[in-house]
Amino acid sequence: MTRDYQGNDMIVADKINKIYPNGCHALKDVSATVHRGEVVVIVGPSGSGKSTFLRALNQLETISSGSITVDGTDMYAKSTDINKLREEVGMVFQNFNLFPHKTALGNVMLAPLKVAKRDAATAETDARDLLKRVGLSDRMDNYPSHLSGGQQQRVAIARALAMKPNIMLFDEPTSALDPEMVGEVLDVMKGLAAEGMTMVVVTHEMGFAREVADRVLFMEDGELLVNETPEAFFDDPENPRLRQFLSMVL
Amino acid sequence: MQTQYKNLGWNALFVLILVALGGLVFLSGKKIDYNWNWQRVVPYIVNNQASAVTAPEDGNIVSNAEGDLVLESLAGDVLVDLSEYEDLLVYEGDLIFEGDRLASLEEWRIGPLTEGLIVTIKISLWSLLFAIVLGLIIGLMRISSNPAVKKLSIAYVELIRGTPLLVQIFIVYFFIGTVFDLERFVAGVIALSLFTAAYVAEIVRAGIQSIPKGQMEAARSLGMSYPKAMIYVILPQAFKRTLPPLAGQFINLIKDSSLVSVISITDLTKAGREVVSGSFAPFEVWFTVALLYLLLTSSLSWAIQRLEKRLSASD
Repeated sequence: MTRDYQGNDMIVADKINKIYPNGCHALKDVSATVHRGEVVVIVGPSGSGKSTFLRALNQLETISSGSITVDGTDMYAKSTDINKLREEVGMVFQNFNLFPHKTALGNVMLAPLKVAKRDAATAETDARDLLKRVGLSDRMDNYPSHLSGGQQQRVAIARALAMKPNIMLFDEPTSALDPEMVGEVLDVMKGLAAEGMTMVVVTHEMGFAREVADRVLFMEDGELLVNETPEAFFDDPENPRLRQFLSMVL
Repeated sequence: MQTQYKNLGWNALFVLILVALGGLVFLSGKKIDYNWNWQRVVPYIVNNQASAVTAPEDGNIVSNAEGDLVLESLAGDVLVDLSEYEDLLVYEGDLIFEGDRLASLEEWRIGPLTEGLIVTIKISLWSLLFAIVLGLIIGLMRISSNPAVKKLSIAYVELIRGTPLLVQIFIVYFFIGTVFDLERFVAGVIALSLFTAAYVAEIVRAGIQSIPKGQMEAARSLGMSYPKAMIYVILPQAFKRTLPPLAGQFINLIKDSSLVSVISITDLTKAGREVVSGSFAPFEVWFTVALLYLLLTSSLSWAIQRLEKRLSASD
């Protein structure tokens, strides 16, 4: 069903709330729409709920109220198979989360083989192409422990792309990297954006947000305060809390 | 070089201490005025005692067309061709009655200790297999989010760990064994499996919980169901981490199997006890039994070390 979705709204979050059992109110009436081919960057101080919001988009976090429609499918409808939906939504994590018992190639091939049930030859050709695309053609048989942080994160991106998703979520993909490796990962992400991938990126890289994003969202204390184009966001911020935030990070 | 020489000294000390301890055991053996006779143990491990070939029924010894001796029945059928045997005890023309000895045959046979060893190996392997399967299931139940499933597994682990294995063996044999009409070997395997599974379950649980949460999240984000993520991502990693404690548990299983001798399973320990009463060489027999157990446990730990090495490729 979702593979054939032709609409323009790839993600529609409507008044979602997340309240943890300990009473912490992590998301307060957050509503946002991500259009097809759009790159949306979410920034905000730590603890503002931006990661929680991102993880809610593929149900790694369940929400307490509201509704999320991803790729034309209501995520919380009874008939929705969350595993099927997740195949359409790739995710890249702050700590890479590569499978340490698999080589780079094995990491990329695992889900196509076991979830999409592609045959081994196709899965391997696809995986090699993807690893070449992220600039790791000479590292395919290395285990994650023998790769640098930047290389691991690029493998993780290739792994997410292997399921041929329509949407990619990035949860602070460069925060755990040494500064000299941030560039290589951002380059891969820019390439993806240029190809028209729908992307939602939580990051502290303001340069990336300004350069690549179609829209920038600002969250604080679980509230979505600003939803603007990069120009309006960085050059002419109206919201006082955003202004305060920008003065600290820029 | 310096450290190498230093280590050489310490290694020499290690050997020296071992020799001294060995000497102490030897001297104390001398002191108690005990007549050591290790040869007496050998026949209980393997022996080549002569066994007799006996006549299946009455008949006569005659030579056949090739000139070989055969036992012919009264009806004239050839019953036994004696040309196969070397030590013949009969001559041509002898009248033979059923049960008479025709020839003696020397052949290697395993002694009661080896038979006990085989029983111990069998009971350990069966218990190992069931303990792994059951332990994995109980361990997975333990981390389930369903309270009923989780509490069942907690209750199981507490019940089994809180009671002595010896008592469990008696209960399984006398109670469950009577209800379901079990053989003693089966009862032994069940008791050992149930006991070891509780410990395996705890090891499996700890192993799974030691895998970072991000692994499960990464697997699920790729569209894997919970069972698939477990099978392809979490369990392979957990297995590698839990190999050392599992090895210890399996070695314990082999040693614990000696307790099944209380329900009259003739395992290595019970065979040892029987041989002692027959050979009057208790010291030699018990040392031999200990050595045989050591042989089993050390080959298991060697095999697991090999496996660990192979799995360390991704480190």
